[in-house]
Amino acid sequence: MDCHNEECSRPQEEEDIMDIPLDDPEANRAAAKIQAGFRGHMTRKKMKPEDKAEGEERQEDRGQ
Amino acid sequence: MAPKKDPKAPAKKAEPAPAPAPAAPEPAPAPAAPAVDLSAVKYLIILSSFHSTDYREAFGLFDRVGDSKVAYNQIADIMRALGQNPTNKEVNKLLGNPTADDMVTKRVDFEGFLPMLQTIINSPNKAGFEDYVEGLRVFDKEGNGTVMGAELRIVLSTLGEKMTEAEIDSLMAGQEDENGCVNYEAFVKHIMSV
Repeated sequence: MDCHNEECSRPQEEEDIMDIPLDDPEANRAAAKIQAGFRGHMTRKKMKPEDKAEGEERQEDRGQ
Repeated sequence: MAPKKDPKAPAKKAEPAPAPAPAAPEPAPAPAAPAVDLSAVKYLIILSSFHSTDYREAFGLFDRVGDSKVAYNQIADIMRALGQNPTNKEVNKLLGNPTADDMVTKRVDFEGFLPMLQTIINSPNKAGFEDYVEGLRVFDKEGNGTVMGAELRIVLSTLGEKMTEAEIDSLMAGQEDENGCVNYEAFVKHIMSV
């Protein structure tokens, strides 16, 4: 799962207090849309580094 | 002498049997219908768009092998690089719900990628500024335009298409004030600026 590398140490009661609607399909759909927007933004930000480093970044990407 | 009509031969008025039309071969039955019928996708937007060379260029940047193709697991990122915000679920559907192995080993060329991109471009219900703001407003307990960064982090990592801690850190960098609060309208404006 996603948190296999991190400590999943958040106490269960903290999540209950925040009333995270884990099973609500609407909430999950809304979250997925927001996350899609966030991921889009982060990818574009990565592709568009500060102008001075643009050429280097592109080359790094190619070399990966 | 006039030839005698053969009285035994009945005048046949029966229509000659029509020459059997060569049966048009039935198109081979389509293989199990893919999750999305890419053949029907309308190309109008891309073909007429002055961005088409940009799309090809971006696609080429992702080709690390040199075979003019990209791996399935790169498709979502190329679309994001080109301004789209597909969910991972939408991309998986376009790819025919590939296995984890497929994601790494299967590759697609630009012509195969285009209808996928066009499908995402064509998709309705795309989220705009208001959608993001409304989505985040749900967590604005005090109705003051801010949400707790910590709460947002938990939501992003437990709901929907869960984000990893690294992704969330990257996303939230510099967005929380000294009290750990995020002004979500400003946050969304920032997100939509790139």
